[in-house]
Amino acid sequence: MMAPISRAWREGLTDLYLVGPTVLVLAALVFVPVLIVFVLSFTDYQLGDRSVTFVGFDQYVALFTDPIGRRAITNTLIYVAVMVPSSILLALLVATRLHGMAQWSPGLSRFLRAAYFLPVAATLVAMALAWQMMLHPSIGIVNMTLVRLGLPAPAWFSDRGLVIYTLALIGIWQTIGYNMVLFLAGLAVIPRHLYDAAEVDGVSSAWSRFWTVTWPMLGPTTLFVAVITATAGFRVFETVAALTGGGPAFASDTLVYALYREGFVYFKVGYASAITVVFFVFVALLTFIQYGLLQKRVHYR
Amino acid sequence: MKSIFKTALAALGLTLAATQAQATDIRVHYAIPTIWADTQEQLAQAFMKSNPDVTVTIDGPAESYANGVQRLLREAVAGNLPDVAYVGLNRWRILEARELTKPLDPFIDDAAAFEKAGYSPAIRSLGQYQGAQHALGTSASTMVMYVNPDLIARAGGSMADFPTTFDGIIELAAKIDALGDDVEGIWIGRHDWRFQGLLGSHGGRPLNEDESDITFDSDAGIAAATLYSRFYKEGGMPIYGQSDARQAYPAGTLGIFFESSSLLNKFTESAGDRFEVTVLPTPVVVEDDSKAYFPTGGSALVMLTDDAEKQKAVWDYMRFVTGPEGAKIIVENTGYAPTNTIVLEDDSYLGAFYEANPNARVAHRQVADHAGPWYAYPGDEGVAVTDLIGAALVEISEGADPKTTLDTLAETVRAKLGMK
Repeated sequence: MMAPISRAWREGLTDLYLVGPTVLVLAALVFVPVLIVFVLSFTDYQLGDRSVTFVGFDQYVALFTDPIGRRAITNTLIYVAVMVPSSILLALLVATRLHGMAQWSPGLSRFLRAAYFLPVAATLVAMALAWQMMLHPSIGIVNMTLVRLGLPAPAWFSDRGLVIYTLALIGIWQTIGYNMVLFLAGLAVIPRHLYDAAEVDGVSSAWSRFWTVTWPMLGPTTLFVAVITATAGFRVFETVAALTGGGPAFASDTLVYALYREGFVYFKVGYASAITVVFFVFVALLTFIQYGLLQKRVHYR
Repeated sequence: MKSIFKTALAALGLTLAATQAQATDIRVHYAIPTIWADTQEQLAQAFMKSNPDVTVTIDGPAESYANGVQRLLREAVAGNLPDVAYVGLNRWRILEARELTKPLDPFIDDAAAFEKAGYSPAIRSLGQYQGAQHALGTSASTMVMYVNPDLIARAGGSMADFPTTFDGIIELAAKIDALGDDVEGIWIGRHDWRFQGLLGSHGGRPLNEDESDITFDSDAGIAAATLYSRFYKEGGMPIYGQSDARQAYPAGTLGIFFESSSLLNKFTESAGDRFEVTVLPTPVVVEDDSKAYFPTGGSALVMLTDDAEKQKAVWDYMRFVTGPEGAKIIVENTGYAPTNTIVLEDDSYLGAFYEANPNARVAHRQVADHAGPWYAYPGDEGVAVTDLIGAALVEISEGADPKTTLDTLAETVRAKLGMK
């Protein structure tokens, strides 16, 4: 005969029964692997090795002192610095224009929305091939046009000083559509009466309408877009892998590409784990800063 | 008592294995299905036809040789390695260093007979390390010279007396480059493998005999690196990436292009009837022709199984694939050069193929004459330093001084590989 269980116990057991499986799966698939990566970053483990030696912070020191490691970090920062603000500003511009256009030409507005969204939906590797052909230094359509106009024809992917900006440009092209959709959603829920009220208060020019109503009301959307775009910027990998392979001479190496190269091409799992941890810290820091800074100035309704 | 029991069990196991001999199953790993999928199927079918007691199971392929080795390493950790694997010629040493490959010398047994069966010293060298045979080459490619005869003619040259020295080639490249803004003279990849090719042409080697030191900063190495610099300064080598050049040559805007012979089919196909893709051998600079070699890309077979019964079946499979019948299937389907000299000498195998593909004969002859190992740098940083070499070549091909750049590179590589 079992002793009767108290009500608190029963509820506790039910909670465990409901939450337990999720916790177990999360632990097995997320927390434990993250922990392993963290531990590995303090070792010199190589894929296939049968033993592991702890090397303390050596891998981190190597990442920040090795010129190639440092270049990966600076390249990533340049990429983010160029791509994130441009993508957000351009997306905002496109979204407000298209939102306005929906008043007088809904069909064209819808068509342009789809066109801007296309890069988001398209397979990146196929798109990368198209970019590669268009930006070919001598037989690509872009440079052929530039030459015809009497302008210099840059080597978009093989000029070491230029390549990271070319990739940032493609990054902007890739993310505008997604950010535009988010901004459009934000614009759609701004109540009309706010504009009417502003007009009553003597706000007449389009610019001050934007500045006093639209922009503050888009605050939460902008915060979300900024966080999403910045993390996407730090994660840049596919374009690098498909278009430049980090080259020429590591000129377009980024953190995540370096992580892939060290771990899966060089088999240096310990070093790759250290890069992963640094990458994680970057993204976490950035997210906290953005939330901290922007949250104060965002008006949630 | 316990050990007697164990022996009895083992004996029982052996008899069981013996009675099941008709059904030896071997698992095969390969990479790059876009090139190999059909070929692998044909090889397995042809092998099983002549060896009905062996079943070949083909693992799902890896996307590239790099991915393939990764997967094999993971499978080794998990304890489910395949029995035999096709790996990149420059990558089997990764498996050897982790003691996963089984030495093949006990199976070769009679070396003279083996050589007679088409395994020349040059071809055997592709799978040897420190005197032991760890791998057998299955397909090969070396760096050849692709030229565009139309551009050559427009620049005042002719295919009949095409220059055979690098000086002559650079002079011709400059004339091609002068034809117009959209025409480029010459291009070579800034990549470890291409550099080793030029180095070998000068009779140099990247590493010394026992692989304890870097030797690409020798005179031969500096001469090879200087070619990169001269191609840029005198021959009009543009600032291209590998894929830029691979688009420009078939488009007919690049005159001379040093590239792997494995791309022959692709170039011929995409050039269409714009011009006639023509292959010439890479010039040999060193006086003593026997000292020249060209690092060979492609794939090799390694034996991975520990099971004696399976090892026998795997060896039969390896001999079949690398023998003349296997080589015929591989050459006809992939365009790679064969790794068995019999098919080059005996026209009954590939005579008709070479008749229809004279370019292939040039490329395959170069493999037979000058195939050499694609040196992989030893140790944990071995793959990483090849990217450092590529980066130094980029600098040289954009104007940096070849000698000082190469000297700095050699020092960096020595430090990385722990050679000082």
